[in-house]
Amino acid sequence: MSEENQVEEQPKPLVLGKLEANYADALLAQDESRGTVVVVIRKERAYAVLEYLKTDPELAYTFLVDVTAVDNSQMESELMQFDYARFMVVYQLYSYQGQCRLRVKVPMPENDLSIASVTALWQGANWLERETYDMFGITFDGHPDLRRILMPDDFEGHPLRKDYPLRGRGERERFNFDKQNV
Amino acid sequence: MGLDFVGRGPEETDGNIITTTIDKVVNWGRKNSLWPMPFGTACCAIEMMATLASKFDLSRFGSEAIRFSPRQSDLLIVSGRISIKMMPVLKRIYDQMPDPKWVISMGACASCGGVFDTYTLIQGVDQFIPVDVYIPGCPPRPEDLIDAVLQVQQKIASGASPKGVEVVYE
Repeated sequence: MSEENQVEEQPKPLVLGKLEANYADALLAQDESRGTVVVVIRKERAYAVLEYLKTDPELAYTFLVDVTAVDNSQMESELMQFDYARFMVVYQLYSYQGQCRLRVKVPMPENDLSIASVTALWQGANWLERETYDMFGITFDGHPDLRRILMPDDFEGHPLRKDYPLRGRGERERFNFDKQNV
Repeated sequence: MGLDFVGRGPEETDGNIITTTIDKVVNWGRKNSLWPMPFGTACCAIEMMATLASKFDLSRFGSEAIRFSPRQSDLLIVSGRISIKMMPVLKRIYDQMPDPKWVISMGACASCGGVFDTYTLIQGVDQFIPVDVYIPGCPPRPEDLIDAVLQVQQKIASGASPKGVEVVYE
């Protein structure tokens, strides 16, 4: 965990200073979680900020570790912070150059669940965004092939949403084997 | 592998003639040459591999000829979790196996869903395909799988038809 210690030793991480200087309008909040810098970015500016984080020669967050989302609908304390946006899309970044991690969170209000795809920046975002779409129903504009990746194609609903029942809606008992294209 | 179904011929033949029935001979052949189709999707498959390997050696019971084509096999070993996306695949593989065919549901997950009481997991494959022998355990020991194979063999030897086959008596 040497890279995490390095972040703690610095008085202020480089990335925060640069984001405050260049994207003050997009930065909703900043935090630190177990040695990882966490920034919350406005949805409309998310792509621009992520592109900057990747292409800036000093930051060079060239590795997109993960794209996922969080359903905060039962977390009142989280909801209050960002104007009751139900979902939070989370990007985990890593910089080989700086050997440090960065977590970028983007609040998503329930009435507009679309965000710009980052597949143009990181090819690896393709399947990660498909999984986020499959599990949470968040659509990624500009994604080359946005379909379900884990659940069957004819599955209805998005099972990692908090309002999806754990035992499902009977799909594990009902099968139409003729319809399935195996 | 007992030949207790074989009867002696008339005394004047000096025991050079044996009598039996076709069914019993066919069943005797079937039970000692089961060709399993492995359907391993989880940790039970690791135990199934151990059963086939030299330490437990399923070939002692005539079932070592694992076929990866359902069309060449007559014993389906469902070992592992079956998700709702995998169930149509399993059903199709079962349908592709030629009759007569037997099914072993290996482990808690295949038999009843195990600890995974969730939207995506089939709560027992016997809802959709007929199962002849269930093995409890999470995962079962290789001896348990051998025992299940022996139970299938007993079932075949007794002349019972597989669970999935409806026998029409004329």
